Amino acid sequence: MKKHHLFLLTVALIYFGCEKDDVCPATTQTTPRLVIEFYDITAPDQIKSVPGLFVIGLDPDLNEISIYNELVSTRSSIALPLQNNSIQTQFKLYKSYDVIDSVVIGNPDIITITYEIETVYVSRACGYINNYSVQTFSVETDNEQWLINSEILSTQVINENEIHVKVLH
Amino acid sequence: MSLNAQEAESEIGDSIVVKQKYGLRLGVDLSKITRSLTEKDYMGFEINGDYRLSKNLYIAGEIGSEKKTSTTNYLNSTAEGTYLKVGIDYNMYTNWAGMDNLIYSGMRIGITNFNQTLNSYTIYDTNSLTWGGNQVVSNNNFSALSSGWIEIILGVKTEVLNNLFLGFNLQIKGRVFETNINNFENIYIPGFGRTYDSGKFGMGFGYSISYLVPMYRKAK
Repeated sequence: MKKHHLFLLTVALIYFGCEKDDVCPATTQTTPRLVIEFYDITAPDQIKSVPGLFVIGLDPDLNEISIYNELVSTRSSIALPLQNNSIQTQFKLYKSYDVIDSVVIGNPDIITITYEIETVYVSRACGYINNYSVQTFSVETDNEQWLINSEILSTQVINENEIHVKVLH
Repeated sequence: MSLNAQEAESEIGDSIVVKQKYGLRLGVDLSKITRSLTEKDYMGFEINGDYRLSKNLYIAGEIGSEKKTSTTNYLNSTAEGTYLKVGIDYNMYTNWAGMDNLIYSGMRIGITNFNQTLNSYTIYDTNSLTWGGNQVVSNNNFSALSSGWIEIILGVKTEVLNNLFLGFNLQIKGRVFETNINNFENIYIPGFGRTYDSGKFGMGFGYSISYLVPMYRKAK
């Protein structure tokens, strides 16, 4: 009988000893990015991809910050990481981005997103994630503005499965 | 031992009646002292005691305090508090005449009052390489927390010198209640130990050194 007890205790010790709780699983929902989808200005219900779409971050001093994992490609949506230590993030969105002889060509439009941050507890292993509540989405006016109109579809940024902002071009 | 045995024996008629020691045994948990000295994120102290009620039954308890800092890649928190455990130990070991060793199983009810400080955390963000700045120093304190649990113990106590005992025990705990914290959780509960995501169970162990203050002797 005692041996039986000891066996159970040993199994329990091994089980609890692994501390798998302390490692954040890669499948955990991470802090979401802001998802923008591009629509046709002439037919606002139609998704319209942007040729050579590329994005660069702008820090508060307007220095260009390259976005992690961002590559130039033609696509109809983009996910933008928001700054966690600020309530405003700016990006430079390029249409037809290219670099020829070290000169950047393409049409950049600067967008500004302001938001409130809600920090949500996940687990001891992953800590907290941020969710955002989008307050404003604006496009800086310029002579060659290609982002003509925008609409916030969902103010609550809690995952990347839905479109948060619709942009017409 | 043999000397003890003879002391404990007295003759009544033709038969020898072995009288056993009854009294209050008091001690400390050596593992908590050792960990306090060797682990910089742990401070703990525990006094344990038991009082013999009958041949195999002891009323037993522990009182202690713990301060533990828990760290993962994303979270750093400190729990600090005092706890009390009360219950019984039942000796399953049949001693030879004059011996006073225990292989016991026991049960405890434990309660604690504690507080927890969320020292710092990192926002879990797999895209954080872009902007950085995800570390947050919060020093957010959650006080007046409490928790209670039930514990099953399996252990041994061996008399190594006259009235001086060394012991080892394992504890399996089931949490009955705890103060829930808004947007955080109890990572470590003094007396209970670390908590697990999987449920309300916990584990513990102890090495004790204790001294028996004999009060009287009794046959069985």
